[in-house]
Amino acid sequence: MDSRRVVLITVAALLLLSARFAAQRSAAAQAGAPGSARAAAPDDYTGYWVSEVTEKWRFRMLVPDKNDYIQVPLNPEGRRVAALWDPAKDEAGGEACRSYGAAALLQVPGRLHITWQDDNTLRLDTDSGTQTRLFRFGGSPPANEKPSWQGYSAATWGGDEPRDRRDGQGGPVQDKEGRLVVDKAQQRTADYLQVVTTRMRPGYLQKNGVPYSANAVVEEYFDVFSDPYTKNTWLGVTTMVNDPQYLIEPLIMHAHFKKLPDASGWDPTPCRANEPR
Amino acid sequence: MGSDAMQSKRTALILVLLLVASRPARAQVDVTGEWSPRVYNTHMDIGDYTGIPINEAGRLRAESWHPDQLDLPENLCRPHPIDIGLRVSVSQLRITTETDNETRQPVGLRLHVAWQEPEQVIYMDGRPQPSANAPHKWSGFSTGHWERNTLVYTTTHLKEAYLTRTGVPKSERATVTTRVHRYGNLLTIVFIINDPLYLTAPYIRASSWIFDPTQIIPPFPCEISPDGTIIAAGKVPSFMPGKNDILADFATEYGIPLEAALGGEETLYPEYIKKMKTMKVAPRTSTEHYRRAQ
Repeated sequence: MDSRRVVLITVAALLLLSARFAAQRSAAAQAGAPGSARAAAPDDYTGYWVSEVTEKWRFRMLVPDKNDYIQVPLNPEGRRVAALWDPAKDEAGGEACRSYGAAALLQVPGRLHITWQDDNTLRLDTDSGTQTRLFRFGGSPPANEKPSWQGYSAATWGGDEPRDRRDGQGGPVQDKEGRLVVDKAQQRTADYLQVVTTRMRPGYLQKNGVPYSANAVVEEYFDVFSDPYTKNTWLGVTTMVNDPQYLIEPLIMHAHFKKLPDASGWDPTPCRANEPR
Repeated sequence: MGSDAMQSKRTALILVLLLVASRPARAQVDVTGEWSPRVYNTHMDIGDYTGIPINEAGRLRAESWHPDQLDLPENLCRPHPIDIGLRVSVSQLRITTETDNETRQPVGLRLHVAWQEPEQVIYMDGRPQPSANAPHKWSGFSTGHWERNTLVYTTTHLKEAYLTRTGVPKSERATVTTRVHRYGNLLTIVFIINDPLYLTAPYIRASSWIFDPTQIIPPFPCEISPDGTIIAAGKVPSFMPGKNDILADFATEYGIPLEAALGGEETLYPEYIKKMKTMKVAPRTSTEHYRRAQ
């Protein structure tokens, strides 16, 4: 083979491979201003998604009976409050959205529509209860932020911690000024969405009035993956609710959603106190 | 071939080496250690196949299962297959690095689960799959790789077993793709089960553990009672097709249409809530059945 051709083919191959590796950093080739959260997104979270309810089915596809909280590590005060559940009273008192708050919204069967509201705000709309969550990158809740059903959600791309604090492969080092800095070569690549939500109105972890308080803190981890069998794209969410007022330990829940090609099946409902969605 | 050609090949080689060196370092998050379970189990009732994309053959097998089968001598100390053990029993988990006995080089990871002490090695050294005719085991055969910070492994060669503790079957042809995510001190494992014999779609479910470096996993001794001690010798408890007289108990107790309680892919999606409203529900005798397990 001509020697120049060898070099040309090699260079072309390298460019193609480099492009592939760059695409791994942002699989969806997100648009967005350089340095923005949108530009740094490790995956494409946008689009329409539908719940696939394979876990806690009877707690999600039906309204469970009052006091049925076998899946929830409630403390005595939580049990006391759960026993007070009265859906008719919630409806009459304008509190029908209690079971659609940030801590439990993704447990409610339904569809999601995720979009970038701006370069640093990821927006999640649900058809069930017609709720909107805003995942804000690079901010913290303003001091005067009023409590709401969806609270204030601070978002980061997670997983880019120094490699690794436990495995001896590195970690922060001191620079000339004595500050701890991370060698970029020792930094892992972010690969999931982490959301911490506070400033919520008191709500329900289940449709049957199992409570969380205004002091609850909700941590969520979102991952996009494909399954090797159907090649479907999935959104997996792990939710951890920290609420010492009503829980003896953090409650961990899971939900997953299948990606849809379009908005078909989108079925907006109002908040309903005595319906599964 | 002259020196130009040699130079070109050398240049190409250097470019390839540069590319390899410039690839992001393999993001191997440390998932080893002691992990304390935060598993909230479901599917503890006969006739509860909710949320499972089960097919007719799977349903027939499940309906013939009798809870007394667990007391047969051969089942008393039978371990769960590893993927089921991680999901249906609230089990402590230990993950360690697996090394080659001779070279002491790491070849993968080893999972140890408390209940019945199943062990699973996830090979990450590129070794080939065993023959399709190789023996099937409770731990199967697993090969893994990293997708950025997520450990992904596929398990084949699993023994026939079940998806729930109440008899929903999983065939020996099932394979499981497992995704292990570490979020700080939280470990989430997502199981994607594909079973061409008993499922119409992959069955996805997840469990989580909390990092607990002081955790101690006690031994799990298990002794088999002699044949005939619990169940009469020679008897295998089961239900003949259509003769399971406790099949509808779960649906009745919780006010669920029987058809919905018996699972299927359609039942997994939000639209099914509307459909259930048109279906017949047996009269409930109580709304406090949950108390027996609470």
